[in-house]
Order: sequence, then C-alpha cells, then structure tokens
Amino acid sequence: MKEISELNFPDDLKYAEDHEWARMENGEATIGICDYAQDQLGDVVFVELPQVGDTFEKGQEFGTVESVKAVSELFTPLSGEVTAVNGNLEDAPELVNNEPYAGGWMIRIKPANAAEMDELMTKDAYLAMLKG
Amino acid sequence: MESIPRTIFYDRHVALGAKIVEFGGWEMPVQYPSGIVQEHLATRKRAGLFDVSHMGRLIVRGKNKLPFLQHVLSNNAEALDVGESQYTLIPNERGGALDDAYLYRFAEEEYLLVVNAANRQKDWEHLQDHVSKMGGVEMIDRTFETAMLSLQGPLSKDILLALIDGGSLPDPLRNRLGRVTLGGSEVLVARTGYTGEPICFELFVENADALNLWDALVKKGSVPVGLGARDTLRLEAALPLYGHELGEDPENHEIPVFAMPLSRFAVSFSPLKGDFVGRAALEKQFAALKKIFNHDFSAIRDLPRRIMPVALKGKGVARAGYKIFHKNKHAGYITSGTMVPYWHSRGEGIASSLTESHSLRGICLALLDSDIGEGDTLEIEMRGRRIPALVVPYHMRSEAPPYARAIPWNKLRGEKKKPDEEKTVAKARNLLTRAIRNTSWRQKECINLIPSEQTQSSVVRLLSIMDPCGRYAEHKQVTAFNEAEVFYYQATDFIENVEKLLEEELRSYLECPQVETRLISGQMANAAVFSALVDYLNRADRKREQRRIRKVMNNHIIRGGHLSAQPMGALRDFVTRDPKTEKPAVVNFPVLAENPYKIDVDACEALLETHRPELIIFGKSMTLYREPVAEIRAMVDELGLNCTIMYDMAHVLGLIGPHFQRPFAEGADLVTGSTHKTFFGTQRGIVGARFDDGDPAYELWLALRRRAFPGSVSNHHLGTLLGLLMATYELNYFKDEYQENIIRNAKTFAAALASCGLDVAGEPGISFTQTHQVILNVGYAKGPEIADRLEANNIIVNYQAAPQEEGFTASGSLRMGVQEMTRFGMRPAHFEELAGLLAEVIRHGRTVKEEVAAFRKRFATMQYCFSEAEFEGEIQKLHTLLR
Repeated sequence: MKEISELNFPDDLKYAEDHEWARMENGEATIGICDYAQDQLGDVVFVELPQVGDTFEKGQEFGTVESVKAVSELFTPLSGEVTAVNGNLEDAPELVNNEPYAGGWMIRIKPANAAEMDELMTKDAYLAMLKG
Repeated sequence: MESIPRTIFYDRHVALGAKIVEFGGWEMPVQYPSGIVQEHLATRKRAGLFDVSHMGRLIVRGKNKLPFLQHVLSNNAEALDVGESQYTLIPNERGGALDDAYLYRFAEEEYLLVVNAANRQKDWEHLQDHVSKMGGVEMIDRTFETAMLSLQGPLSKDILLALIDGGSLPDPLRNRLGRVTLGGSEVLVARTGYTGEPICFELFVENADALNLWDALVKKGSVPVGLGARDTLRLEAALPLYGHELGEDPENHEIPVFAMPLSRFAVSFSPLKGDFVGRAALEKQFAALKKIFNHDFSAIRDLPRRIMPVALKGKGVARAGYKIFHKNKHAGYITSGTMVPYWHSRGEGIASSLTESHSLRGICLALLDSDIGEGDTLEIEMRGRRIPALVVPYHMRSEAPPYARAIPWNKLRGEKKKPDEEKTVAKARNLLTRAIRNTSWRQKECINLIPSEQTQSSVVRLLSIMDPCGRYAEHKQVTAFNEAEVFYYQATDFIENVEKLLEEELRSYLECPQVETRLISGQMANAAVFSALVDYLNRADRKREQRRIRKVMNNHIIRGGHLSAQPMGALRDFVTRDPKTEKPAVVNFPVLAENPYKIDVDACEALLETHRPELIIFGKSMTLYREPVAEIRAMVDELGLNCTIMYDMAHVLGLIGPHFQRPFAEGADLVTGSTHKTFFGTQRGIVGARFDDGDPAYELWLALRRRAFPGSVSNHHLGTLLGLLMATYELNYFKDEYQENIIRNAKTFAAALASCGLDVAGEPGISFTQTHQVILNVGYAKGPEIADRLEANNIIVNYQAAPQEEGFTASGSLRMGVQEMTRFGMRPAHFEELAGLLAEVIRHGRTVKEEVAAFRKRFATMQYCFSEAEFEGEIQKLHTLLR
C-alpha cells in the first residue's frame, strides 16, 4: 500500500467522499475511481458496469469493482443518464489499477443537475479528507 | 492485552512494502506491491517464496508415539518410512475434521505434525487430552522456535541446487523428505506444497538460520508471495482450506470428512490403525461414497453433499457463501471462489509452453448435492443475478512437470480435429504415398538411434507377410497323449515345424532347456510370467481366492526400470498390497549414491533379508550396466529364500554371450525378452526357463505354457513367428561379430560424445557403457525440445527422464542405442563422425540435415544377415507371391 504522498490526484478533477472522480468535458461527466481507491483495492479482476441509457440519482450504486479478495460498490457522484460505458474493462480490468484516470475510466454521464459538480471536492479538499 | 504475534520474517515483509493483515492469529503479508495477480503468475512461471511460519509445528515423541498418531490422526502413520510424509486429518468423533494437517517423518525417533495456524490452540488442547490419556507420548510445540518457508514453482529446484552446500534434496517424488546444509545451516526439505506446482519444496529451519535462508532464496530469484496469492494458487489446485472445504459450511453445519475429495488419500482404514477417533462415522461416509461413485444414491443421506470444482461460464466473480442452483433447485454453496489468473499456452502436447500473456477466469470449489456430477450445468446466484457455471473435474493439472498446467473449462478435452472429407480411394492412395515416404525417410535418410528399435532383414520381413500371417495354429500339450502337442486347426504342419525349429534355435541361443515363443510382445511375456507365478504359488489350493505374489524386488521406473515390472504396468494385478504402506508390495533395488544407473549390490543383502521377495525382476529400459544376477543369486541361495529370479532382457536380449552376460549361467530362473531390439527379430516376446522335467519348479514352467496359451493369446500371430525363425538363424550365425561390434561401437560413441563436450552418463573409466545404450544429459526438461531438433536433422533419438527428474515431461536426458546402425555396418570410426554431427546440433544449434542424409547413404546395406545375392531366386519368388 502506498503512502498518500506517493499517490496521484490530477488537479483538474473533482472527487467524491467514496473516492470516485469526475471530469466534465463537452457537457458530459466521465467518472472513475481514484488512485487511492485502486491502491487500497489491489488487483482489480472484474468490473460490473451499467447499460447505456440507465439513469441514476446522485449517491446511487451504479456498479461494482471487484478485487481478488473483495467486492466494492460504486456510487455515482452525479445524477444523470449513462451515455457511455468503458467496454475495455471487461478483458482488461487491470486498467483500473494502471490508468485510473485515463484507460480505467468507467462511465460517462449526461448530468441532470449542473450544480452537483460544485458539491464535489477539489483535489486539496479530498487530500485533506484522506489525511484526516 | 497480548499483541498479535509476528513471524521471524515480519521485518522482511515490511521492508518489501507488504500489506500486513491479521490471519489465523498472526500478522502476515497478504500481498507485496506487485499484487496478488502477479505473485500468482510468478509462482506458475518462476518460483514463489511463502512465509508459512505461522503454521503450527508440533513434535511427537515417546515409546507410544505411533499408537498415539494412529489414534488421533486419520491416515496410516505406520506407512511412513523415515524420509516420507503424508497428508492427514485430525478427525472428531462425529465424522468431521478438527483440522487438516501434514505428518512428516524426518527422523526415526520423532514425527513432525504441521497444523493450520488458526487451529493451533484448538488442536493442541485436543491432542494434549489424548496424550495424557494414553501415556508414553511427549508432544512439544516448536512453532515459536522454528521457521517454515515454502518454495514453489518450476525454477525452485534450480534455486535450491545452486545454494546447497551439503546433503541432498529429496527424491523427485511427492511427499519425500531430505536434509541439506545451506549457507552452513541445516535445512529439512520436503517435496510438499499447497500450490499444485509439481516442483515444490517446504523448508524447515531453526530461527537462528531463518533470515539468512530467506535472503539467500530471494537473492537467487525467488519471488516473495503473500497469503492472497497462496489462496488463489491453492484454489486453482482445488486444495481445501479449513473453514471453507473442511469445518463448517455456509449454513454452519459440519462438513463430513469424505465430502472433500482428498479425504480418500487422507483417511486410512488399515487394520494397523485399530480403532481411531471417528472411525465408525468415517466408515459410514466412505460406504456412501463408494455407492455414489457407482451412481447408487441409496445412502446419500450419509454423505448428502460433496466438494466439487466449478468453473464460471458467464461473467462475474463467484465467492464463498453464494448459493448454487441446479435445475432451479437450491443445491449447495460456493465454499471458495474468486477470479484467478493463468498463463496462456502455445503449442500442443509435450511441446506446449507458457506465453507472456495471461487471462483471468472465475473458478471455485463448491459444496453440492452428491448426485450432481462432472459436466452438470449450474447457476450461481450473485447479487440478484444468476450466472451459468459448470462442474469440472479439475481446474489445472500437475502431472507434466516442470509446469503446472491450467485447464480452462472450455479446453477440457483438447480440440478434436475434424477429419478431412475425402473419397475412400483418395484416402487409400494418400496412405500408400505417405507410408512410402515414411519408410524411405527412415531407411534411407535417417540415423536411427532409438535403443528399442531395429530393422529386420528383407528375408525376415518377406517371410512375415507370407501366407501364415493370416492363419491359425493354436495348440496345447495334452498329458493323456504323453505331452504331445495337439493342434486345433488344419494345414498346420508347416508352421508346427517352424515353431519346433524356433524353439531349438532359441534354446541354443539362450542356453536353457525351455522356451515359450507364443507371446507377441515383451510386456505380454512378462505378464505371462507373473500370471504363471501366481498360478504356481496357488497350485495346492484352487478353491480359495488365489493369493498374489507377496513381495517383488525390481528396478524403479525413475531409475530406468521397465514399465512392465512396475505396479502401474503389467505387475499390477499380480502383486499384493502391503498392509503397512497400503501400496503394492514392491521394494526397489538400491542404487549407488554417486551413480544412480548402477545397483548397489552390497546394500541388497539387508533388503533381501528384510523383505524376502518371492520374485526378483532384473532388467531396465535405460541401462548402462550388466545386471548383478550372479551376486544376487548367491545372496538368495545363502539366505535360503524361496524366490524366483527373472531377468527381463528386453533391450539386451541380442547381447547374450561372453561380451555382455549369460543369464542362466549366472543363476536366473527365467528370462523374458523382446525379440526386436538388439535381437534381430520381428516384434514379439519370448520366455526362457531353466526348469527341466524332474525339477520341483517344472510346474512353474507348465503354468507358464498355459498362461501363454490360452492365458495370453488365442492366435499367436504366425507371420511374425515365421520371420522370427529366420531372424534367429541370422543372430545365431552372426552373433559373435555383431555383439562384439555393438559393445565397441557404444563405448566409442559415448567417449566421442564426451570429447565433443557433451555430458555423457556413466563412468568414463569403462567408456560409459556396458550395453548398446548411450545416455546424454542435456539439461533439466530440455530433452523433448532437443530430441525434436535432432529429428528435424534426421537423427532419431528418444528423450528420457533421468533418475533425478520427476517424470517424462521434465526429461533432461537423451537415450540412444547403437544396435540398428551397427547392423547397417557402422564401425567405431563412423560413430566418432556421428558424435560430431550430434554435437553440432546440440551444442551449436546448427542444421546438419543434408549431411546426415549423405552420411546415411554410406550405410544402406544391412550386415549380419545372409546376403541378398545368396537368396536372389527365393526373394524374387516371395515378391511375386505377394501379388
């Protein structure tokens, strides 16, 4: 397990309390789990994702990420409709470990409520929360 | 409050960045930074190093140690010789298990019992209770004074060999033990493990030596592996984990011992155990299990569910506790499950190898209703969905060392090739064309060095396919006719005469009064002898169940002993099971420590005295020496043993004489042999015996006649019988020159290979060999690949496992024989040339195919046979008779 200082948290993302990240571009939010989450989980062996067209309220479970030892639920930081799902994770779940912010992205959402983005934490706020 | 104990390696784990968790009451590494997936894969491809010092290590001593162990453990402790170990269970009275465990016998005066960390306190209290009750037993807990490491994977043996400075590793057989010194400290070594890796070691050291051992192993390339991958590895190998496959099931009911497949090996009902804890309950479960194996479910209530490997067909991860449905009925639970990585392989059969890529697969062990079986489809309920799954016989296999081989559910039986759509005539023509090509290639372009093979002269071959090859000539001696042979068929005068002449020629060649020629292979000849011996041993009482041979002494297959003579070969149905070891009652010839190809004659005396075998089988298929027939005969006679001495001369039958050995003169009772290796014949088998009329053992000879016909054959294949007579004429006529040249060629070939820088087995002082065989060591598991390369260069040899290798897939030797090429006229100087060609291929990887074909052209005419010119007229006539 890495020290927090060894982990990576890009400045331009927003973070949720349960360790998801969100990036807004072209009116859609891309969502995944952050470096801390993947480090804690260990080797990801399976990711269960929703279908395109599914809708969720903020805080609802949208899927699971499984390591060898444990199952972890995924909670959406934003409400909205799923517009894309990362199909690469089916054959290469290790992308979540190796590229949590790039190749390891999980879903793309059309946000129902733009204000929810501001309710998420900045990198500094998230780090402060981690360090407790 | 006491802090959670740590093993002596704790600081090493922390320094490597391991994630530490509590397990079984100890702080243990669950994974290192590389992660569980990489650690699992590294063990399968290289070597994984596991700290297992948290497991309980209990020493049992005292005059009642054996009765104590027989009473509190499920397996037969008396079966263990010093240097052996066994899987066992600590049973309770109800037919469940308190723990599973391993019992090691490193020393004469004490046993080591290794138990699961989580159960150590519980096991101790239970066992201590019995210690007090029985008396005369001392039990000591050495868990905190000693350390235990597990080293598993294809490279693990090389790593240890590079570090050992004294002692020797255990024999390459599971459960064997050894003692070595490593960096000056004593290490006890066991060929045991919990990963399914065929190359596996568990190491025991005193605490003082532990860290040095760890550091040395890591420095040599072992990959530290945590408990996370330990679990995925054992799951893939379908090995049980207490608390999952033993102990309580997800409904908190006790899992019956025999629900777990390995219990058939862990539980013994040997009479040597007497009454032991749980015996009655276990016998009941075992009775139900035997019925279930026969698809009889009448006793299913005594064993309602069993543990089975299950593979996921759909996407998902099945975990312990998930419910399983069969035909929509709730049929059980997953006991262990997760996603496990495996290496992709390329190639087929023995040429298959691991690639650089891997995949993940969902696999589990499950406790399922006992009437469910292999191939049944199931549904696993996971978080609201039902995923299809399949009961499989295994997830991986360990019998092809040096690698464990993953078997995904969709690759269970390999891929069947669809036969080509071809019209029948085209098929026939194709076959003829290919047969012509095959014969041309082997006869004109190849140097054939396989020790079991030979080419027959053209007259022998022609005779084999003349009219008798479609005829019958069964016959039997009838006592009422003064032992005259009575033939059951007509027009048999010719073949009757051929058989008589053959027996005469063979009696002369073998130097014995009796010969049986109706067997059609060497193995059949051996089986007929074993059967005859059983018949003979029971001659006084034909009413009762016929007893088997009580004890056999032979050469072990790993040291070149014949397959026929092993319990897995022809011997199986003729030898008793030893009640002590619960295995076939066979004792092996001891070999010299410095030369495993040579029998340690001096050590035989004590073994003969202890074991008093009824049958001794000499003979090997990987052979460099004469067998010590005379010496053993002398020992047998001095000890007054009632023993039959048999020499299976298979390979060396053509060498009988002053240049090799004369078995009957040296004291053999029976000789069996293949007539087609060093002997010139067609492919058949024979038996020779020294019992003449008047000898008390003549009955054994008569039994052998009966076990040949009608015991082994009806039709004894007359075509090859006719060919064999001609071949025997040839051998009797040319044998002096032929035998002398074979031995000289073999010695020259061996010496030449050695001077080309190759590693030749045997003693340089005697030019390596006394037979037709030459054995080359080419490196652990490299045999098959090098044999393939030589074949691509038209040099045909065969790969063979040397005595220190686990099995044929790990073969590190090439076995060669000079007999066929000697017959085509090769002389010592030619074998020197040939050695050079071999070295080019083996040492320098060069292609010499054309040179070999040109070389073969110089040896196209068969020697040691009557020249074709001599019989030109007759040969022409035989050819025309074929149309």
